[in-house]
Amino acid sequence: MRAILTIAQKDFKSLVSSPLYFVIAGLCSMIWSYSYIRTLFNFAEQNQAYMRPGADSSLNIQRQVFLSHISMVNILLVFLVPALTMRLLAEEKRMRTYDLLLTSPITATQIAIGKFLAGWGTATVLILISFLYPFATRIVAAYPMGPLLAAYLGMFLVCGAYVAVGLFASSLTESVILSVALGLLFNIVLWMIAQGASGDVSPPVAAVLEYVSLGPHFINFIIGSIKLKSLVFMFSLIGLFVFLTQRVIESSRWR
Amino acid sequence: MIEVQQLTKNYGERPAIQGLSFSIKKGEVVGFLGPNGAGKSTTMKIITGYMAPSSGQVTVAGFDVFENPVEVKRRIGYLPETPPVYHDMFVSDYLRFVANLKGVEKNRITSLVNSALEKTGLHDERARMIGNLSKGFKQRVGLAQALVSDPEILILDEPTVGLDPKQVAEMRHLIQQLKGQHTIVLSTHILPEVQASCEKVIIINRGQIVAEDSLQGLTKRMSGGGQMVQLRVRRNQDGIVRGLQGLKGVRKAISQGNFIEVESDGDEATVESLSGFVVGQGAGLVEFKVHDVGLEDIFIRLTSGTV
Repeated sequence: MRAILTIAQKDFKSLVSSPLYFVIAGLCSMIWSYSYIRTLFNFAEQNQAYMRPGADSSLNIQRQVFLSHISMVNILLVFLVPALTMRLLAEEKRMRTYDLLLTSPITATQIAIGKFLAGWGTATVLILISFLYPFATRIVAAYPMGPLLAAYLGMFLVCGAYVAVGLFASSLTESVILSVALGLLFNIVLWMIAQGASGDVSPPVAAVLEYVSLGPHFINFIIGSIKLKSLVFMFSLIGLFVFLTQRVIESSRWR
Repeated sequence: MIEVQQLTKNYGERPAIQGLSFSIKKGEVVGFLGPNGAGKSTTMKIITGYMAPSSGQVTVAGFDVFENPVEVKRRIGYLPETPPVYHDMFVSDYLRFVANLKGVEKNRITSLVNSALEKTGLHDERARMIGNLSKGFKQRVGLAQALVSDPEILILDEPTVGLDPKQVAEMRHLIQQLKGQHTIVLSTHILPEVQASCEKVIIINRGQIVAEDSLQGLTKRMSGGGQMVQLRVRRNQDGIVRGLQGLKGVRKAISQGNFIEVESDGDEATVESLSGFVVGQGAGLVEFKVHDVGLEDIFIRLTSGTV
C-alpha cells in the first residue's frame, strides 16, 4: 500500500505541476466557459418564452444545459487524458528511471496501480473544475443535485477508463507521441464499438457489442440513473486495462 | 553473499552471456571488467532482478532472485549506467521518494537521506532541481539513490563514465570510503579504477569469465613474477631490440613506436645487464622505466584471446 501511495503521490505532483497541465487546464476552462455560458443563456431565453401562459412547461435544466456541458467535458477528456497519461510509463522508459522502479522492492501490480491512481487523480482535478460551472448555477437557479451528481459519477468513472487505457498505451512504448496516439485510438474504439451493433448483425451479437461499449453505460449515468451493471462494467474496464499494464511491466523481467 | 551459477542470457539468437558462475563474499569489493559489449551490464541487471536470465540461477543473501525478487531488491542498491533521476524533482525530494520506494522505515528516512547527501557531498545541492545539475552531480545523485536505503550490497554500473578527471577522482574516493560498509560490485572498463578500489577482479569477455582472482594473485599469475622495462634510445633502435632479445633473462623485446618494451624475468640482475647492454652499445639511452606487469597488460592479453 505504501509503495502504491509513494508512486501515486510523486506522479500526481509531477503531472499537476507540469507546464503541460497548466496549458490543458487553461484550454479546458476556456472552452467550457464559452460553451456553458452559451447553453445557459439559450436555456434562459427559452425559459422566458415558455413562461407565458398556455405554453408547454417541459423544460429541464439537467437535459438542456448540464447534459451538453458534460458531453463537452467528455469530448475534451477523450483527447486530453491520453496527453496526461502519456508520460506515466513512456517517459520513465525514455529517461531510464524505469530501471529504478524495476529494481526497487515493489511489484509490477503496485507500479501499475500507483501510476493509475496518479493519472486518475490528475484527470479528476479537471472534472472538478468542470463541476464548478453547474455548481455556480445554483446561485441563480434551484435544481435537484441528485441527477447532476449521478452524471458526474459517470463522468468520473468514464474518465477512469480513459486513464487506464492511456496508461496501457503508455506502457507499450518509449515514445510519448506514440503513446498519445495509441491512447486516443483506444478511447475512440471504446466509443465506436456500439456502432457495430446498428448494422445487420444478429441480436445476440448486437446486445454484446452494446454492452461492451462505453456509450450506453455513460448515458445511464447522464440521465441520472446509477445502474449496477454500468458500475460493474466501468470497474471491469478499468481493472482490465490496469491488469494489462501490469502484465506489460512484468514482461520486461522475462523478455 | 552473491552466488551466480551457470548464468546464460540470450538476446534473440545472440548470446550475451554464457554459463557464468562466480561467487562474491560479504564485504568484498569486486571489480567486474570487460570490454564494451562483454556482458557486464547484462549480468548486473540479472543480479538486481531487473531482468530474468535464459537459464541459470542467482541467489543473493540466500534468496533466489526469481523466486523472491522483492527480498533481493530490498538488499541491493543499484546505480545503472544512466543515473535513474527525475529531472523535475528536487534532490532531497527525490531521495525521500527512493527511500519510500525501497521500503525504508518511516522514522529512519530523514537520517538516511541526510547521510546519503553527506556521503556524496550533495549537501549544498539538496534544494536544487535535478535537471539543472551537471552530469557529475547527477551521477552523484544516482549514487546517493543507491545508498539511501543503506543496502547490504551496492551494484555500480560504470559509475565514472562521462565524468571529468576531478570528478572521477572524487567518485573513486567515495567508493573507497564505502568499503567495509557494503559489499560492492563495480563494473567498468577503466582499469585504474579497479586498481584503486577493488580487492577482487572478475574479467569477462564475450559473455564468459576469463579470469577471477584477487588483484595481486592475478598480477602474479599473469606475469609469472616478471617485470616490464620500457626504454627509449636516440639511435639504432632496431639493432638494440635484436641485441636485447638474445640477452639472458629477457623473455620478449619489441619495438613500440619510439619505445622499446622488454619483458624480463623479474630478476634485478637481468635489469642490470639490460641497462649495461644498452649503455654499452652507445645508443643514447634517454629513458629507462621498470614496472610490474599492470592490469592493463593482463586485461588486453585476456580479452584479445592470446592467453
